[in-house]
Amino acid sequence: MNITAYIDPGSGSYLVQMIIAGILGIAFYFKTIWATIKSFFGGRKEIPKDKEKNE
Amino acid sequence: MNKVRNHPASYRDPSGFVFLYEGKYYRQVNQCYKDDYQALKQSGLYNQLVKEKKLIPHIELDKNFSQSDEWYCTLLPEQITFLSWPYEWCFSQLKDAALLTLYILKEAIQHGMILKDATPFNIQFKNGRPVFIDTLSFEKYDDTQPWVAYRQFTESFIVPLLLCVYRSPEMLKLLQAYPDGIPLKLASKWLPLRSRFNLNVFLHIFLQNKVSEKSNRNSAAQPAFSRKKLLSIANNLLSFVSGMQLKPIRTIWNNYYDETVLNEKYVNDKRSVVEGWLKEIPVKTILDAGTNTGLFAKAAATHAETVIAIDSDADCINSLYVHCKQTGNTCILPLLIDICQPTPSTGWHNEERSAFISRCRVDMVLALAIIHHLVIGKNVPLQQVAETLSTLTDYLVIEFVPKEDVKVKQMLLQRKDIFPHYTVKAFEDIFSSSFEILQKIKVGETERSLFLMKKKN
Repeated sequence: MNITAYIDPGSGSYLVQMIIAGILGIAFYFKTIWATIKSFFGGRKEIPKDKEKNE
Repeated sequence: MNKVRNHPASYRDPSGFVFLYEGKYYRQVNQCYKDDYQALKQSGLYNQLVKEKKLIPHIELDKNFSQSDEWYCTLLPEQITFLSWPYEWCFSQLKDAALLTLYILKEAIQHGMILKDATPFNIQFKNGRPVFIDTLSFEKYDDTQPWVAYRQFTESFIVPLLLCVYRSPEMLKLLQAYPDGIPLKLASKWLPLRSRFNLNVFLHIFLQNKVSEKSNRNSAAQPAFSRKKLLSIANNLLSFVSGMQLKPIRTIWNNYYDETVLNEKYVNDKRSVVEGWLKEIPVKTILDAGTNTGLFAKAAATHAETVIAIDSDADCINSLYVHCKQTGNTCILPLLIDICQPTPSTGWHNEERSAFISRCRVDMVLALAIIHHLVIGKNVPLQQVAETLSTLTDYLVIEFVPKEDVKVKQMLLQRKDIFPHYTVKAFEDIFSSSFEILQKIKVGETERSLFLMKKKN
């Protein structure tokens, strides 16, 4: 972890971010496959996420 | 010129400090932060965030107020009219502050920079919207590193927001006890079991807590992180926070004015009297104490620059904030403050974050239909109410609700009447010692009276 930080990043903060990024990566991978399958069978085309509905 | 001293809360970050000089807040940038500060300017990040009104603008001064060797430059930021603390905000205010932090994090990464801390104290409300005030929170981004402020962000934004969602919106007040963030260990105890079935809650709270408990601090070699990974976490946090919603609830107060006891004529008459006085007296700042759903704060907002609208009901304050945001009302600052338990001063030496009463100096106070709650509901003597109000304001618009009123009768139904001196005559006499009574008008067909008063010199 960045040792120039002035706050304590907390123990295990590096590891947990690695794990979470990994899980999110896998989730994204499956989402993409699912979207491809759906569009192959003529399902509704993936609509790009609505542009941040002004909160 | 006397040397300036740093603000009591500005001691954590060696990059610089905030100080107060002749009534204005300044920020000193130290030599050690020079490179990061220049990167903030040169990357275009500062200009972009200021243009979007997400970051407080400042002007640079070539004046070493502190006469310190570490001085690099001095910033004079645009001043904030009224400073509020995260434990005075409602759910939607903290949520917007969290979304702003994440937005700035993402923009910073695009500009080769990152946020080195993520606390709600880096944010203030200006013209109804959250604005990032800590210009020294940015540093150059090393894309082999994860986000150093991830734990801080989780504990000081995500945990309180989740406690609101899964428990109750009043849980935000816990930030007063835990200003550095609510520890994950406690959060995992306090969140209900069902919250674990939400993937995001599981990852950011329960998993993080477990990993943190198990990990030792001297793990040596760590694989490199990446920009892609960090952006995926930031995007995930953004969609997680955006999706947080409070369950609709009905409190004693959020339907107060819809009740039949207080009929439409009463409310309309009261509004026309108050609006008449607001037109007559030019004021800049108003405190609406016990604002409820903000009916009179909204009326006051058309006559003043800033209306601080306080109430002890979390749902009322949240609805008022959401209403102001939707209607573009930039004058009202709704805050979750109980006038009987105003925010104390907190932090190191009780000096970091000042008490509500010491921050609150306004031109006018609206104290409408709260006197009976203070005197009969909380046993606060009339004398003390008058004294406190006279320390806050020059003009006072106050409504007296006598014992003959149906609401007061209800309050006295189940308790002994220990208030023989609660009469309009005694009220006038006591308030006359601190205020000059300018006008007195009876409201509608009720027993209630409105008073316009001016503080005696």
